[in-house]
This record gives sequence, C-alpha cells and structure tokens, in this order.
Amino acid sequence: MSGYLKLAGKNLLRHRTRSVLTMLGIAASVGVLFSVLSFNKGFTEGLAVELERTGLHFMVVPSGCAHEVAALVLHGAVIPKFLDTKVMEHVTATAGIDLATPILVAQLPDPQRGKIDLIYGVDMSVLSAIKPGWEIAGKIPEQDNEILLGYEVAQHEKLQPGDQFSTGGRANLLVSGIVGLTGSQDDAFVYLPIKTAQKLLDHPAAATAIGVKVTDPTRMVEITDALTAAVPGIQIVTMGEVMNSISNLAASARALSLAIVLIAILISAVGVMNSILMAVFERTQEIGMMRAVGASRWDIFRIILEETTILSLSGGLVGILISILGSRMIEAFVRSVMPFVPSGNLISFDPVVAAGSVLFIFIIGLCAGIYPALKASKINPVEAIKG
Amino acid sequence: MIELKQIEKNYRRGAEEVRALRGVDLSIAAGELLAIIGPSGAGKTTLLHILGCLDQPTRGEVLFDGVNTSNMPESELVQLRREKIGFVFQQFYLIPGLSVFDNIALPLLFSKKQASRSKILALAEMVGLEHRLDHAPAQLSGGEMQRAAIARGLVNDPEILLADEPTGNLDSENSDKIYALLRSLSQNGLATVMITHNTELAARAQRTVQIRDGLVHP
Repeated sequence: MSGYLKLAGKNLLRHRTRSVLTMLGIAASVGVLFSVLSFNKGFTEGLAVELERTGLHFMVVPSGCAHEVAALVLHGAVIPKFLDTKVMEHVTATAGIDLATPILVAQLPDPQRGKIDLIYGVDMSVLSAIKPGWEIAGKIPEQDNEILLGYEVAQHEKLQPGDQFSTGGRANLLVSGIVGLTGSQDDAFVYLPIKTAQKLLDHPAAATAIGVKVTDPTRMVEITDALTAAVPGIQIVTMGEVMNSISNLAASARALSLAIVLIAILISAVGVMNSILMAVFERTQEIGMMRAVGASRWDIFRIILEETTILSLSGGLVGILISILGSRMIEAFVRSVMPFVPSGNLISFDPVVAAGSVLFIFIIGLCAGIYPALKASKINPVEAIKG
Repeated sequence: MIELKQIEKNYRRGAEEVRALRGVDLSIAAGELLAIIGPSGAGKTTLLHILGCLDQPTRGEVLFDGVNTSNMPESELVQLRREKIGFVFQQFYLIPGLSVFDNIALPLLFSKKQASRSKILALAEMVGLEHRLDHAPAQLSGGEMQRAAIARGLVNDPEILLADEPTGNLDSENSDKIYALLRSLSQNGLATVMITHNTELAARAQRTVQIRDGLVHP
C-alpha cells in the first residue's frame, strides 16, 4: 500500500463514525444504482424467456390496447372484451397455422365465498406447450370438471389435488393438480378447460384471445396480413411486439428510478464533500505542519483526494455487496408493486454492471473530492501553524 | 550556512499594516545552537518561518549555503525544506492516527524516500523512544511527544533544525531533556535555532539573540 493511501486511510479512521456514515451513504446510492441496472437486465432476460416458453408466435385479440394484450399473454390479465365466435373458425381455416388455441380469462364472482376468482380457460391439451416451465403437483385436467389451481389459490383455500373447489357458486370442480410457485401472477389463477370456463361465464364460444403457433415462422407476416384482412375487429400482436410493449413500460419505470438514483448519488457526493471538507478544516494545523516538513501542494491534494477515493470505492463495494445479499428482498418488493414481473431471478449479478457502478461512483467521488483537496492544498502553512 | 541580510517582513492584520521585521541581519553557522528570545509579537516566529523558507521576506535576502532563496519558486522551496530543514513545533503536531514510527517517518513520504526501519529505530534510540515506536501519540507524555517531533524533524538529515518554543508545553524536567537533546545535536554539527521564552534555557545556548521591535539585538 502506498504511503499516501495508508495516511489517507488512517485519517479516515480517526473519525470512524463520520467516515462509516459517509461511506454508507455512498453504499446506499450505489446499491440502488446497481439494483436498478441489474433489475433491467434480469427483467428483459426473464421476459424473453417467458415469452419463448409460451411456444406461441402471436395472439389474436379484440382490437384495443397492446399493453392489455401483453399482460394477457404473460399472466392472464382480464380484458373486458371477447372475440367474435367466428374468429376461431377463420384462424383455423387460415393456411400455415400449426396450432390455434382459445384462451378465456375472466373474473368470476363467488357470492357464497364472497370472493372473485380469476379464471383462465384454456385447451388443457396445449397447456404444457404454453406453460412449459410449470411444475405441477398432480396432473393436468383431463375431464371437463377438473381444474388446476395456482399456488396462491391453493394455499389460500387450503386445497390439495383430489379436493373439491367451488367457483361462481355454480359447480363443484375437482382439483386435479396444483401449479408450483412461479412468483408471478400465474399463482393467483384457477385454470379450467376452456369449455368449462365458457360454460361458467355463460358464453359458450367466447375467447379473450387466441394463441397461434405457425408452421413456418418466416411466413408470419404473410399469415397475419391474411388474417387481419379476412377478420375485422381483431388485433394481432406478435410476441416481439408484446416484448417491446412490456419493455417500454419497464423502460419508463427504469428512467424514473435512475433519475431518483442519480439524485441520491448527488446527495451522497455532497455528503462526501462535506465530510472531507470538515476533516480538512479540522486538520488545518496538521496540514501546515506537513507543508513545513516537506509536503508540496500536490502532496496535500493527493492525500485528501485519496481519502475520497477510499470512501467512494469502499462505499461502492459495500453497496454492491448489500444489493446482492438483499436482492431477494428487493425482488419480493418489486413483485408486490409491479403489475407484471417475469418469473425467475430479476436481479442477476453481472460483473460488468457491478464494475460500472463502482467506477461511476469512483468518478463521482473524485469530483466531490476535488474541491476539499484544492482547499487543503491552498492552506497557507504559516497561517495554519500559527493556528 | 544561513545568512539573513536586511530582512523586512510586512503583513496586513485587517486594516493595519504590521512591520514584523524591520531589517534583520543574522547568520547561523553549522553546528551552532542559537536561542532567539523576545516578547510576544516581537517577530520571533516570523523570523523562524523565513529561516525555514516557509515564508518569504518583503525585502532583503535569505542566503542558504550561498544561494538566495528570497525569490525561489515554490517548488524549489519545497525541495529545500525537504532536504535541508527540519521543523519542531511547540504543539508537536503529531498525527493522532499514526504510530510514533509512522509520525517520525512522515517527511520521508514527501521526499519520496523509503522509510528504513533501521534509520527510524536509530533516531528513536537517539531521542529515547525506541520502546514507544508502535504507540499512538496519545499514549505518550508531553516530553515524549516532543522527542518524537524532534526525531521527525531529523529524519531527512537536515542541515538546520528550527524549533519554535520546543519546551513551551513541557515541565522543567522535560524541558531540560529536550534542551540536552538539541544541544547534543548541535554538538554533532547540526545548526539548531530555538525560539524560547525560557531565559534560563536561552542562557545555556551557544549564542542568544533577542528580537525587539522587529530588530535583532545580540
């Protein structure tokens, strides 16, 4: 360790509480910065994986908001519109369609239990293709009266495979399986065969959307154009568009978060400057002595700047460590407040992001240290020694 | 070795112009122990700062080994202080966070020299602190702190040691020890200048000058 660094470190240790508090201020800022940047990466990757898992190429939905579609595709948000019953016939009749599966998502009030169930009607034969990442305790429903429960629903209702479940006050359904915890909104749904769902809603041929897989993805544009021309009142949203739509929402949230983080970093930089400036004023006589025994202005400047460097770097590293250790808590919080969050790890450790965050705060710390260091280097040794 | 010629030093204290030194002539030879006495505000410390190249005179010449330092740029003055001048202060100014060893070695950091343990140990033995090298300054007595400060002033092998009231904060026993140390240093060839209010100590110095009204009186 260089003598300057050692001296700077010892100087900081003379006021441990002040130094630790200043360092923690930096750590908090860097931790949040790292989390926001890592969250963005994890979110995008998780989203891509989740979309790929659906095994679908596009969705046919009633004309409307693309964000609604995105939410529907990924986690069954409720769209208060149904597709015309003839749409399914048009879709299946279109050349190049490999798989077309209707999806019905709706809210179903149950006056007896005083609850509203979120139901997700789907052709159970394609469920494993749409949700390949699910772990199911029990089995996928095979009969019309069998259902699958999301993890939270099963926990809340204290149900196991083989138990009866009543919804909408209209039917006693058999729980054939329970979906393992996904950490997403999938956990809150009751999954039924599409026909059962349609019957419960009194809409025998209704669908909120039709998930489509094509035989040749390179012909997707041709197929969607043909469908749009043939069927009025529908909207076709490809998985790429869904991803863009959700990514745009996430990007807006990220921009806001980053703005807040930058303000926090600015505040911590002012904290560093204040802390070091106080230390300089307290050590005026000592700096005068150092000038007398041979320190140049640059030597003094360097010592003070190295103090800010130590604070910034240690704060940066501690911040990264805290955010890694607390990433599960941060994820839980984000999941509780965001309408859509992909399953899987949202905050993934990326050494490049970590190094970038530390480098950023290092530069900010250096900038914050320049003024106190200049101030210290300009101390007149004669005046300082006189006190 | 050091020669001051017609040194004047003026500075402002608020609206008032203070003439601290009014034409000082003084020369100090190698191995000489010079005591400077005088009332407070007479200009003793100002003279010491000019001798130590910490301050520049308003007029006059400071010749250090024949070289006029009065108009030297700051970088050369820093170099001169590193290589040829040692300072000792009344308040010691030891750095609390550093050990006695590191405090003694501090000037070596600025002169970019390696702090050799044997050299620091030799200096510590000379001032009687060899058993205190790993201690913090707060663990030392006043006399020990001043001895550590003297060792620090000697670590760069200076040609002159300038001590501003080195016994000002010490009791008589410790004052005697510090004086004995300074005297032995001068006997070994080091020019030593000591500002003091202690007339008894000053009387024991090789030479004593008095500053009064900005002028030196033998």
